[in-house]
Amino acid sequence: MTTASPATRAQDPSAAPLERLTRLLGELTGPGQPFSPEALAELDRTEAFPTEACRALDTFGLRRFYVPVEHGGALESFDVVMRLLRAVSRIDLTVALSHGKTYLGAAATWIAGEPEAARRLGRRIAEGTPVSCALTERHHGSDLMAGEVTARPAPDGGWLLSGEKWLINLATRGGLVTVLARTDEEGGPRGFSLFLVDKSRLAPEHFTHLPKVPTYGIRGADISGIAFHDAPLPEDALIGRVGEGIEIIVKALHFSRTGCVAMSLGAGDHALALAAEFVAQDADGVRLAQDPYVRRELGEAAAGLLLSDAAGLVAARSPHALAGEMSVVSAVAKAYVPTEVDDLIARLLHLLGPYGLLRPDDPHTGFAKVERDHRIIGIFDGSSLVNRSALIEQFPRIARGYAKGRWDAEGLAEATNPHAPLRPMRPRELGLVSSGGCSIVAGLPAAVGELRDLAVRGHASTALTTLAGQLLDVSDRLHQDMAAIRFPPRAVPGHAFRLAERFESCFAAASALHLWLRAAARARGPIPEAALLACLVKALTDLEEPVDDADRTAFDDLAEAVLSRPSAPFHSLLDHVEPTGSQQGAAS
Amino acid sequence: MSDPHAEPHTVDSLREWLTNCVASHLERSADTIDTSVRLSDYGLDSLYVLSVAGELEDHLDISLDPTLLWDNPTIDALSEALAKELAQYA
Repeated sequence: MTTASPATRAQDPSAAPLERLTRLLGELTGPGQPFSPEALAELDRTEAFPTEACRALDTFGLRRFYVPVEHGGALESFDVVMRLLRAVSRIDLTVALSHGKTYLGAAATWIAGEPEAARRLGRRIAEGTPVSCALTERHHGSDLMAGEVTARPAPDGGWLLSGEKWLINLATRGGLVTVLARTDEEGGPRGFSLFLVDKSRLAPEHFTHLPKVPTYGIRGADISGIAFHDAPLPEDALIGRVGEGIEIIVKALHFSRTGCVAMSLGAGDHALALAAEFVAQDADGVRLAQDPYVRRELGEAAAGLLLSDAAGLVAARSPHALAGEMSVVSAVAKAYVPTEVDDLIARLLHLLGPYGLLRPDDPHTGFAKVERDHRIIGIFDGSSLVNRSALIEQFPRIARGYAKGRWDAEGLAEATNPHAPLRPMRPRELGLVSSGGCSIVAGLPAAVGELRDLAVRGHASTALTTLAGQLLDVSDRLHQDMAAIRFPPRAVPGHAFRLAERFESCFAAASALHLWLRAAARARGPIPEAALLACLVKALTDLEEPVDDADRTAFDDLAEAVLSRPSAPFHSLLDHVEPTGSQQGAAS
Repeated sequence: MSDPHAEPHTVDSLREWLTNCVASHLERSADTIDTSVRLSDYGLDSLYVLSVAGELEDHLDISLDPTLLWDNPTIDALSEALAKELAQYA
């Protein structure tokens, strides 16, 4: 569905803060600055918290973007804060996770939407108080409903909180902590509630910080825990109503999972840039970039990043455009993107050889640090296994919507056109399960039809329509398989997880196709298709579908584009089809 | 759209449909299901019942907040709640 608005490029609402932050980060990576490679390497070596870097982001005002406009902040559009966090992650994931945690810690309060509580929290965030979110416990991991931390009504009003939360980002440094606690001994989905705990209002005997846990990556991050000892909480610490804890937190996870995707994309950008710079340089008179194998691998890694970006961009717009489908969109994006980025990092590591494994203070590369830091993203806020389970539970809805050709055309158009204004976020529209299946993939048959119409007018190649048709065949078969999945409680069959992975690839490829089609509609004429070709070839490769070797040259074209500007590779499919001033490059 | 000739849903017809639905998920016969027992006691945990909500939506052709199944944890309670919900559509 296209809108009738003029095709002139609307001012991208995210452009101004993103440009300012990118410029600032450029300055802050200089010698002696908090984001300099030396400073970050030293923090990693000593496992020290990036205090200076976080302070620089505070000075920039990044915190304002964690607070919705209606609660006194600058957050109007979710994809803006996602792009800002991606820009920080592109330089250092530990800093992004440490600073961005405040948004994720506050999300439950925004969703509950009680105006006075939200305004109060907004003020505290603006003043510089970091906010954490404590869900997991030592013996229960992802099983939130097994949690033992308990809040009991206090005799003279308010609550008494007891128990231990562990493996929590910012548990020690957070001044405020969103805590999920059992409020009904029986437990169950209505047996838990959320509390915003203000440490500054607790006496020291009521809580203990647990020691920082040494980790494989993100070594400087404050990954620790907190134990409460009959900590008295005022009545107004309760977020939402008693018994709504699980419901609110499941919805908050839609946001935090999408946040993880943005950070993962930033790490992917970083890895690709490091690898491109490495292979582009002369080493003993040999340029690795001239090797056809190296180019093919680099191109395939770049295609994986473009596909991830397509899925991530759509996911970041979906809290506005497709809010009712966030339970599917966030699970797909959180399972897909970090896996794809882990894969591309492994592919690039192979190209760097020993240089990929050197310590971050080595002048050649900080690649090993990116590899280590990123590994946690696939586990944070629900592992890929947890997200795929959430997706599988919704297979019947998704398959039914697909079979009936039912999707939200208006929401899909808004989610896939970055120039379309986003409607305000309405937490009320978020659901525990998707109301309408998955519009991104259910809209694939129509998108392929639209592409074929473009081909008739000479605005799309046969190669492109053939690949898109192949993707559609895969998707049709996949949805039949998904519809056939039936299982008794707690007995998800193993092959359902394989179907979930295939669905994720279809989602990413469909996202890329939608984004390209909307760009083509804006351009009202032929637009470059090399990047989309590479995305489709990569998705079909991941789907283990037969791909002609001739089609794989799409990876070489992409490598060419990346190598033409090794220190600033393209991050997005859209950079290839509508280069803007700041991202202008030799797009094919 | 719902079939205008279809029988209207009653608490009893809803209870019967739900019993059969739950029995099929548990792969056992409907006469072994006690409608006053919490679904979670049958192993239908809080996430799993959300997929039952989807089937209910299809059967009744209405859109449901799946937390209705959290707030009404037995087939008996759910049948009553659904009948009330449907009355709003009538």
